[in-house]
Amino acid sequence: MTCEHLRGSFELYALGLLGESDEKSAIAAHLDQGCPACNARMKDALAIQALMLSQAPEVLPPMRLKCRVLGAVGIQPMGWTWFAALCAAAMLIAALWYGVISSERRRQRDEARASLAEAITERDRLHSAFQFLQDPETKQYNFGDPNAPHGIVYLHPQFGLLLIASQLPPVPQDRMYQLWILPKHGGAAQPAGTFRSASDASAVYQLNRRLNPADISGVAVTVEPASGSQMPTLPLLFVAPIG
Amino acid sequence: MKLHLQIIPAWVAFAALLAVVRLKHDPKLAQRLRRRDPKAMTALYDRYGRLVYALIHRIVKDAHVAEDLTQETFLRVWNRAQAFDTEKGALGPWIVTVARNRAIDYLRSTPARSASRTLELADIEHPSRFTGIDDEALAPQRAKRVQATFDRLTPHQKTVLELAYYEGLTPAEMAERLQEPLATVQAWLEGALNALRESAREAAAG
Repeated sequence: MTCEHLRGSFELYALGLLGESDEKSAIAAHLDQGCPACNARMKDALAIQALMLSQAPEVLPPMRLKCRVLGAVGIQPMGWTWFAALCAAAMLIAALWYGVISSERRRQRDEARASLAEAITERDRLHSAFQFLQDPETKQYNFGDPNAPHGIVYLHPQFGLLLIASQLPPVPQDRMYQLWILPKHGGAAQPAGTFRSASDASAVYQLNRRLNPADISGVAVTVEPASGSQMPTLPLLFVAPIG
Repeated sequence: MKLHLQIIPAWVAFAALLAVVRLKHDPKLAQRLRRRDPKAMTALYDRYGRLVYALIHRIVKDAHVAEDLTQETFLRVWNRAQAFDTEKGALGPWIVTVARNRAIDYLRSTPARSASRTLELADIEHPSRFTGIDDEALAPQRAKRVQATFDRLTPHQKTVLELAYYEGLTPAEMAERLQEPLATVQAWLEGALNALRESAREAAAG
């Protein structure tokens, strides 16, 4: 076949659609022989084919396909891997830093709250004691010697009792001072609460309950287990007589 | 059985046209591929990955199969880049042809298509075939002109072109599919290809 006979078949040849026809064999032969006209037509046919195929409606491939394609030829998409690793490391460091900072701030906040609560409690206690001392119905009873536990007991029928003591002996951590009300007409000592001393061996303790001074002969203090006792453990640390 | 022609909507064609804009000839990319530079493969995928996937998807109409065949296409290009003429070879037409042939091979391997022409396609897509093709083979103005020519074809001509390019049917298979005489189908095909050929020639001449 001449080149002219074949000129309309190059597109089908390029598409692989000539089957086992004579045209296919003839074109292959012309191309193998380096026929300039046929080679030029073949290139035109391939160019038209590429143009036609590039008209396919656009469909976006999934993101994973790039990694899959590069992986198939043994390439790791390093750029994004490193970028992702750096981002992850930066986020991890930021999270750790934020965690440490948050923990420290939380601890400082808790400490501040505890200090504030203590200060408020102390303020309320002092305010109550001040009210106690200012009231005209409050009665004062001194006790003890200067070189031994000594102090003042204030009694009020409504507010109760306020004990201010000094020179208290130190007690172990698992022990506390316990106050006892001693009835005037005999009978068992009544437990009236536990308390600790301050670092200067002094203590201020208030018992908020109605008390009738006429029924009380005195108040005593003993050293007891931290949970308190129902009966005083002798010896008595001191006794403050009332009346 | 009559084929329902899939008319390409204007916006889709425009999107495809935009994709083609990026497909400029790049001898350096081809040289890097021959040196088996890993970054060249990444650049090749960035440049042609969307087109290859879209083309294969258009032919096989299955996303999972399209992924497999896209991977196969790039693997084939990577392995055959040694035979590619880095100075005169046209990378875009080559990779598009390899992609189309992988998809047509897949269609022909299905039970409904008895004849297998895998070896024939492999010969046609050899890298040496793409030496000397115009650098601007996929230039947007040419794609636009070819699209305009395609739009002016008769419905029958469009149908036979779609069957040839996207389904890989021979004229005899088209005649059977369309239940038309072979000579009629060949006439439609000849008319359509003449129009495309003329359009491409005019586009190349500027």
